[in-house]
Amino acid sequence: MDTNTAGIPTLTIKLVLLGESAVGKSSIVLRFISNDFTESREPTIGAAFLTKRITRNDKAIKFEIWDTAGQERFAPLAPMYYRNAQAALVVFDITNEQSFRKAQNWVEELHEKLGDNIIIALVGNKMDLLTMQGEISNRAVNEDEIQNLCQQENLLYFEVSAKTGKNIQEVFQAVGEKIPFPTHNVGRTSEHDLTITDDQRIDLESTTVEGARETGGCNC
Amino acid sequence: MAEDRKSEILKEFDPLNQFVSSENDDTVEDVMSKKDDANTQAVEETNMNISAQDMGDEEPFYDFQLFIKQLQTPGASPLVKYTKSFLRNFLAQRLLWTVTEEIKLINDFKMFIYDKFALYEPFKSLDSSKIRNAREGIEKLIMGKLYFRCFSPSLYDTLQKPLDDQHMRDLNDDNTLQEKIEHYRFIGPVMLDIPDTMPTAKLNRFVHLASTELGKINRFKSPRDKMVCVLNASKVIFGLLKHTRLEQNGADSFIPVLIYCILKGQIQYLISNVNYIERFRSPEFLRGEEEYYLSSLQAAVNFIMNLSESSLTIENHKGFEEEYQENLKQVAKEKDEHHKQRKLDVPNELQSNGTLLKPLDEVTNIVISKFTELFSPVEETTQEETLNSERSSKEEDVSLLIKKIEENERKETLKTLQNMFPDMEPSLIEDVCFAKKSRIGPCVDALLSLSE
Repeated sequence: MDTNTAGIPTLTIKLVLLGESAVGKSSIVLRFISNDFTESREPTIGAAFLTKRITRNDKAIKFEIWDTAGQERFAPLAPMYYRNAQAALVVFDITNEQSFRKAQNWVEELHEKLGDNIIIALVGNKMDLLTMQGEISNRAVNEDEIQNLCQQENLLYFEVSAKTGKNIQEVFQAVGEKIPFPTHNVGRTSEHDLTITDDQRIDLESTTVEGARETGGCNC
Repeated sequence: MAEDRKSEILKEFDPLNQFVSSENDDTVEDVMSKKDDANTQAVEETNMNISAQDMGDEEPFYDFQLFIKQLQTPGASPLVKYTKSFLRNFLAQRLLWTVTEEIKLINDFKMFIYDKFALYEPFKSLDSSKIRNAREGIEKLIMGKLYFRCFSPSLYDTLQKPLDDQHMRDLNDDNTLQEKIEHYRFIGPVMLDIPDTMPTAKLNRFVHLASTELGKINRFKSPRDKMVCVLNASKVIFGLLKHTRLEQNGADSFIPVLIYCILKGQIQYLISNVNYIERFRSPEFLRGEEEYYLSSLQAAVNFIMNLSESSLTIENHKGFEEEYQENLKQVAKEKDEHHKQRKLDVPNELQSNGTLLKPLDEVTNIVISKFTELFSPVEETTQEETLNSERSSKEEDVSLLIKKIEENERKETLKTLQNMFPDMEPSLIEDVCFAKKSRIGPCVDALLSLSE
C-alpha cells in the first residue's frame, strides 16, 4: 500500500485481462479509463498497460490493468502476465459460444494456478448486439450455464457493453470492493523484504493480498 | 605524486580496471577484464535523460551526475566507504557467486545503504523523489562495477570456465533463442497474424527502429538503462500501431509485432539481459509499466523459444517448408563465411566479447579516470589543490567528449526518424528532435500526431 500526493491511502491492484482476441478486452478498458483524463500523465507507452484510479469510501484504488494477447497461439504466455495478479477480468462475447468456452478454460486455469488468491470477474461483452427476432435471441450462451459456472467457481458476473459503456464502471467497482485494504505494513512493504527469492515467478503465495478468499456472490 | 596516489585508490576500489597498476595480485588478474565500465559509461551518460516511466506517484526524476555529486560531498563519505567495501568484498571473496547469492548480496546491500541514506547529509534531507534518484544511483553505480560478475555472458568471458547452473542456463537459453531466431527469421508478418492492411514499408521501418532500440540493451550495464531500451522499443511499436490505427487492440496487436521485431533484430543475449534486469532491478522500481513490458518481452521470447510451424498461420505448408530449408542453408553458409572471416582477421582481443560496444579508446581513459575520481573523495588537504585543478580539466575533457557523443547520437536519431517519416519535411523533424531533446519515444509521439 502506498500513499499518493494527497495523502490518501492507495491500494494498487494488478488486474489481468483474459479472453479471446475479438471479444473486446481492450475496448472495455479503454471505455473504463476514457471518462477520466486526469490519468493522462501515467502510462505513456500504449494501450496494453493502463492504469486508473477509483475511490472506495474515502480510500483510493489504483488499477494496473495488464492486457494479454487473446490469440490461441499466445495462450501459453498468459502465466507471465497473471503471476501476482490480485484480480482478473475474463471476457467473452455473449453472442459467441466459442468465446465462452475459452473463458471457462481461463477461469479454471486461474484457479488451478493461483488458487483462491485471485478475484475473478466473468464479463459478457457486446450486450449491445443482443437482438430479439420474435422469441429467438441471438444470445449464444445459455444463462443457466453462466450462473452455474459463477457459483461453482465463485465468480462475479457482469454483462456489459464496451460500445455504450453500460456496466463498465460497475465491473471495476465491484472488483475493487472485493479486495481488502491491508491492515498492516503501511510504511515499508514486502518489496523491502530481504528474502527475495531468486525467481519471483514461483513466489506467488507470499505476495498476494491475504484474506482475499471471502466468498463472492454471483451478480447475474 | 598525484598519479601514485591515484593508482593506490584505483587498486583499492576498482580491481576491475586492469591498467590500474601493474602489481595486481593473481586473484585480481583473474577477474580483470579488458573491457571496462567507461566504454559504456560515456554512452550511458548521453542517455541519462531518457526518463524511464515513473511507476509511482512521484514525478519521473533521474540524474546520475547529481547523485555522484551528492556522494562526493564530505558528509556522505561513510556511504562511499560502505559501498567500496561492499564492492571490494564482492569481487575479492569469490570469483563465482551463484545467481541466488548475487541477488541476496546485492539486495541486502541496497537495503543497508538505503537505510544509511537517512543518516548522512546530503541524503538525509532529501524528499522522497530525490531519494528515489539516490536509490537509482546506487543501483547503477554498483551494477556498473559488478556487471562482469553478474551478467552471464560477461561472467563467462571473464572467467573462461564453466559457471554454476543458473548462469550456465542463461547462456544455453541465449544460444537456443539465437538458433530459433536464425531458423525463423524469414517468416512474414502474416504468419503471426499481423494484419496485411499494414503497409510493408512502414512496418519494416518501424520494426527496424524498434529492434535497434532493443538491441541497445547490450550497450548498457545498469538494469535501469537496459530497461529503458525495452521501454523505448515498446514505444516505437506502439508508434507503428497508432500509425496504423491498431493501437486500441492492445496486446492483441502489440505482442505479434514485438515477436516479429525480435525475429528480425538478431539481438544477442536477450535472455541473459531479461534475467539480469529481473534479478538486479530493485523490485520497488520494477513494477507497473516497467514490469508489464519486461513480462511482455519475456513472453515474446518464450514464444520464440517454443516456435514451430504449428504456432504460425501458414496457408501453404509446402511453400513454407521450402522457404524454411532454403533459410537453413543460408544460415549454414553465413556461419561458414563468418568462421573463415574470423580466421583471417587479425587476432582481436575483444572479438570473443560481443557484450560491449566497440571500445572508444581515446575516450575510455578520460572517462575511466573521471569515474574513478567520482569514487575517491579527496581526503588529504595537501593534495587537494593539484587534484582539484586536475579534476576540473578532466571534467572539461569529459564534457567535450560527451557533447561529441551526444551530437552523434542526435544525428543518428534524426536519420532514423527521417526514415520513419519519409513524407515529412526534414526541417520539421529536426525541430521536433530539438524540442524533444532527441529522445526517441517523445519524438515518435510528436511526429505521429503531426502526421495525422
